[in-house]
Amino acid sequence: MATSTHEFDPQAMGQHPEQYFRREYVWQLPVRITHWVNAACLTVLFLTGLYISHPLLAPSGEAVHHFVMGRVRQFHFAAAMLFTVTFMVRVYWFWVGNNYARSGFPYVWRPQWWADLFRQAADYLRLERGHVHLGHNSLGGATYTVFVIFLGWCQIFTGMALYSESNPGGILNRLFGWVLPLLGGSFQTHMWHHFFAWGFVVFAILHVYIVLYDSTQYGNGLITSIISGYKFYQKGDFKED
Amino acid sequence: METHTRSASTYDVLRAHGVDRRRFLKFCTMMAAAMGLDATVVPQIVEALETKPRLPVIWLHGLECTCCSESFIRSSHPIAQDVILNMISLDYDDTLMAAAGFQAEENRKRTMKDYSGQYVLAVEGNAPTADGGVYCTVGGETFLNILQETAENAKAVIAWGSCASNGCVQAAKPNPTGAKPIHELISHKAIINVPGCPPIAEVMTGVLTYILTFGALPELDRYGRPKMFYAQRIHDKCYRRAFFDAGQFVETWDDEGAKKGWCLYKMGCRGPTTYNSCPTFKWNNGVSYPIGSGHGCIGCSEENFWDDGPFYERLSSIPVPGIDSTPDAIGAVAAGAALIGVGAHFISTEVRRAAGKKIGSDTEAQGKEGR
Repeated sequence: MATSTHEFDPQAMGQHPEQYFRREYVWQLPVRITHWVNAACLTVLFLTGLYISHPLLAPSGEAVHHFVMGRVRQFHFAAAMLFTVTFMVRVYWFWVGNNYARSGFPYVWRPQWWADLFRQAADYLRLERGHVHLGHNSLGGATYTVFVIFLGWCQIFTGMALYSESNPGGILNRLFGWVLPLLGGSFQTHMWHHFFAWGFVVFAILHVYIVLYDSTQYGNGLITSIISGYKFYQKGDFKED
Repeated sequence: METHTRSASTYDVLRAHGVDRRRFLKFCTMMAAAMGLDATVVPQIVEALETKPRLPVIWLHGLECTCCSESFIRSSHPIAQDVILNMISLDYDDTLMAAAGFQAEENRKRTMKDYSGQYVLAVEGNAPTADGGVYCTVGGETFLNILQETAENAKAVIAWGSCASNGCVQAAKPNPTGAKPIHELISHKAIINVPGCPPIAEVMTGVLTYILTFGALPELDRYGRPKMFYAQRIHDKCYRRAFFDAGQFVETWDDEGAKKGWCLYKMGCRGPTTYNSCPTFKWNNGVSYPIGSGHGCIGCSEENFWDDGPFYERLSSIPVPGIDSTPDAIGAVAAGAALIGVGAHFISTEVRRAAGKKIGSDTEAQGKEGR
């Protein structure tokens, strides 16, 4: 039990760093791999999606010599399939991974979860360092649940339904075709697919910023943790999973 | 005499109208091809049209513009016009029938009684439901009542056109008369939707030929449309598809791309989201269809196509109440708001740092080490 935890004696710290800095293996390899594959896929998906909806720079000459839209769509669909697979791997790892792989789950029925959510939001707004979560805090977990998991499912279902239109009666059409009438037809499904896509942009902005903020202000090695898997905490931190 | 005509087969009636056997067989072959059926089915169609008594049909007109009937009587095949009007025993059609007034309504009632469970109810247009359905009355009765009454003992119901299938313009926002498509007003009946504004004449003929030949409705998709005519998108059979894949798009109506016949995607063409047979059958005796004439598809056979406008823009608004912007505009605003939010947070962090305060140095958190 330490008090006033962040007044370090640099000399003592240098001599006995283990008393001040601890590290823990948080993100297992599948979590790190799926994170980066999904990040790459979402980038490709959004950029190719922008081209598909607003195609620019028409090539000149005969159509037979070009395949620009076709190629961009091919990349979009390939990235979509890869995203879906890694998304499923991550869903699987939610069950079999370590406790940190499950952290951030929205326990909305627990008052404690809500308390942590508001406390974390207040900490960010007051620019204060509060509890340190080695996994996700409630606020982060809620953000991931809405912007990654919910939107991810939305994009997978609307995207697969739209993709399946080119092969009516095919396996994908039979699995996902029901989404089209549910959302009011193919056209409206396109509109929702566009709308959800922007959710990932909003998420990327919030996510990258808060990661930089936590990593620089809290000094917990948050950025490197998604490469190495290790996160740091300081002696006296209120540590939670 | 009338009863004799009614029980006569389509072929009998055609012969009486001076159509020779050769032209009759041509028609049957064309129908088989149009329905995507194999050549071995042709004899079946021939036999059905030769032997089966004509299908008794009651053709109702609700809230509509009669464009379906107009399309129907303009089938491209030389004898199709004859066939269409002769292949069915059109016992009641207030637009085409000679009888009027009480006599007309009597015809409908008599067919409903004499051919109970055998007649096909073809509906053009839909029924307004607001205020008890008073916005469409025929012979002093609301169309809603007539529709439900006539559907009661029908063998099947054909919903002709977008009005009957999807609601079309009268069901578009704000829909003051509460117009509803047929499938929302009739339950426990086999209903086939044949959308389009109007549907293609050959599609209408094909549906009737199928019902007459096989005595059942053709295979339907999720929207209750016959798969043989509505399984594919305009886009997938469009002759301009090569320009789409190449990335060559018309940007304005008078640019070089428009002259070269490039893809109309950026001009709001609804081909990629519209299921219909226009590229296959085309219109007006196979002359052309909208995209062939340099105009994008407006998606007239799709649900809510009036509300999915504007027709000349690729993107429309999403159905979120109170928001009337394209999803991309909403998304860009949301992303901008997120950027402003994190920017403000970053600046206040830096200001605080510049003031000499370190984040966390004044933490009041109880220093407690877990685990």
